Amino acid sequence: MAENLLEVKNLKKYFPVKAGVFKRTVAHVKAVDDISFAVEEGETLGLVGESGCGKSTTGRTILRLLEATEGKVIFDGKNVMDLDKKEMRAIRRDMQIIFQDPYASLNPRMTVADIVGEPLDIHNLAKNKQERNEKVKEILENVGLGEEYMNRYPHEFSGGQRQRIGVARALAVDPKLIIADEPVSALDVSVQAQVVNLLQDLQKEYGLTYLFIAHDLSVVKHISDRVAVMYLGKIVELTDKKELFKNPMHPYTQSLLSAIPEADPKKKKDRIVLEGDVPSPVDPPSGCRFHPRCPKAFEPCPVKEPEFKEYGDGHFAACHLLDK
Amino acid sequence: MNFLSKEALVEVKNLKTYFYTEEGVVKAVDGVDYEIYPGETLGIVGESGCGKSVTSLSIMRLVESPPGRIEAGEINFQGKDLTKLSEKEMRKIRGNDISMIFQEPMTSLNPVYTVGDQIMEAIMLHKGVDRKEARRQAVDMLQKVGIPLPEQRVDEYPHQLSGGMRQRVMIAMALSCDPQLLIADEPTTALDVTIQAQILELMNSLKESYGMSIMMITHDLGVIAEVSDRVAVMYAGKVVEYTDVDTLFEDPKHPYTWGLMNSIPKLDKDVDRLEAIPGSVPSPLNFPEGCKFNTRCPLAEGKCFDVEPPLENATEGHKVRCWRYKDLEKIKERGERIYEDRGVLD
Repeated sequence: MAENLLEVKNLKKYFPVKAGVFKRTVAHVKAVDDISFAVEEGETLGLVGESGCGKSTTGRTILRLLEATEGKVIFDGKNVMDLDKKEMRAIRRDMQIIFQDPYASLNPRMTVADIVGEPLDIHNLAKNKQERNEKVKEILENVGLGEEYMNRYPHEFSGGQRQRIGVARALAVDPKLIIADEPVSALDVSVQAQVVNLLQDLQKEYGLTYLFIAHDLSVVKHISDRVAVMYLGKIVELTDKKELFKNPMHPYTQSLLSAIPEADPKKKKDRIVLEGDVPSPVDPPSGCRFHPRCPKAFEPCPVKEPEFKEYGDGHFAACHLLDK
Repeated sequence: MNFLSKEALVEVKNLKTYFYTEEGVVKAVDGVDYEIYPGETLGIVGESGCGKSVTSLSIMRLVESPPGRIEAGEINFQGKDLTKLSEKEMRKIRGNDISMIFQEPMTSLNPVYTVGDQIMEAIMLHKGVDRKEARRQAVDMLQKVGIPLPEQRVDEYPHQLSGGMRQRVMIAMALSCDPQLLIADEPTTALDVTIQAQILELMNSLKESYGMSIMMITHDLGVIAEVSDRVAVMYAGKVVEYTDVDTLFEDPKHPYTWGLMNSIPKLDKDVDRLEAIPGSVPSPLNFPEGCKFNTRCPLAEGKCFDVEPPLENATEGHKVRCWRYKDLEKIKERGERIYEDRGVLD
């Protein structure tokens, strides 16, 4: 078994809700509420869930783009949360992020060469201008963009090409871990496949480790080795992707899988349609957070929070039903 | 159900809607034909910029003019050509015979009026009933679209509702005057997948109880497979394939349709690598000569670059706009992929 490159332990991220004249903190949005998982070197861990479940906050907290409320993030043996500013900058060379919106995440006033070259400057990875140019050229080629694009500005590119630039920027510093936060959901269907294929090619070539955050289960299934399902700040299930899709244990995972419209008109699914909406993370339901919408909820669910534990070979879940 | 034996509810013939911009003429919809039959759902699928939304806005006569203009074509609805109606005549049809729901319910609801007021407005306008009766009907509609505590919700403002609830309000508003056609433009794209399932289920059941037709515009082939009876695939302002939903998914004949289907990962099938269509959609200011898909099509050759193929019957009731669809069939028979792997690192 491969080594764990990233270990997240009891991570919490609460956002204060302030109100009144003195901006007192009146409540907390529990965006991420005590989650633990590990990512092995070279694997892709998919993190799925609906909007507001805390998946993006998780990604950002790991990189300390947001400061965690509690918990540890161990990367390559070091607790990222204990590092000072200088050490943090150094470690970011190994952990990079790709954002969802390729229109908002690139500086419109910088050329592609500068966007991709900036991380090289920050980490002093190029001795002189010529070397920097050579490197930028090589990276752009690796993501399928030719040399002729180097001096252009982001607005001259299509969405798919912009996302390639975003990938190139992340790749420039030769990282070990890339957190990809919904990297294809803003793209057209026919272009999504190009970027997914590119990410897979790059992983093989450079032995990259991905934390792939998305709401689209079919894309996550395609690219991931293991998948974690989040609901309202908690991981409810985590296992090997084949196992998850064949044998989903948590009722939320089951309904999530059954809700995906499949591109096959012949297939009429037995759909578990969930009632109601996702509750507010300011005041999450007691006990199991899924119990108000759960079709299988029983006595302990509203009172006791289920433990996240292993039910056979690397299949983790948090549900009282499984202990019945 | 065989819809084709009935008379079409809507018949769109050679519709052209152009936009006159400073950079040039954008031919957003460039010669589109399709029919919608009573009681059916016609799916319109395509990527951004293919003209799928502009066709629906043309039917509603909501294309902003200037810069937009319906340049040519007919939209026949109940013996009338909608392109020729005056704004006053059109207002009687809009929201009454034909209604529309949009992708982002928050931007289509007025934030300063209660949802009840907004539903009642349409009812009072088109049915000529008084406020009290309109309110009763509004509560009734909210109940039908599955909003809990409708008597209470009717007095709430849009911001007090969740995204799924807002879309239900939009549907209630659209159906309040018993339309014959509901145009749904990406109605579930902004919603989470579990909420999307609720809304699609609701639309399917309402379609049956109201006996209306739906025009479902989406980029999501999964949604298309789920709700459509027949499908028009659009690319660059044109319909490139047009047939019933089962045939389309079983036997896609246009290389673009084939590419779309194979570029999305399937839940029940594992592939190592997706079949990605290379390049991106050409700019509508600068469409290529000949077949509009020729810049991305692996089968494109000679004629494809010079002459635009017509939308013709490949088999009865299965139309395709491609010079080489028979060659695609041979490739499919051999079980080969048509979009070759173009890994950039090899």
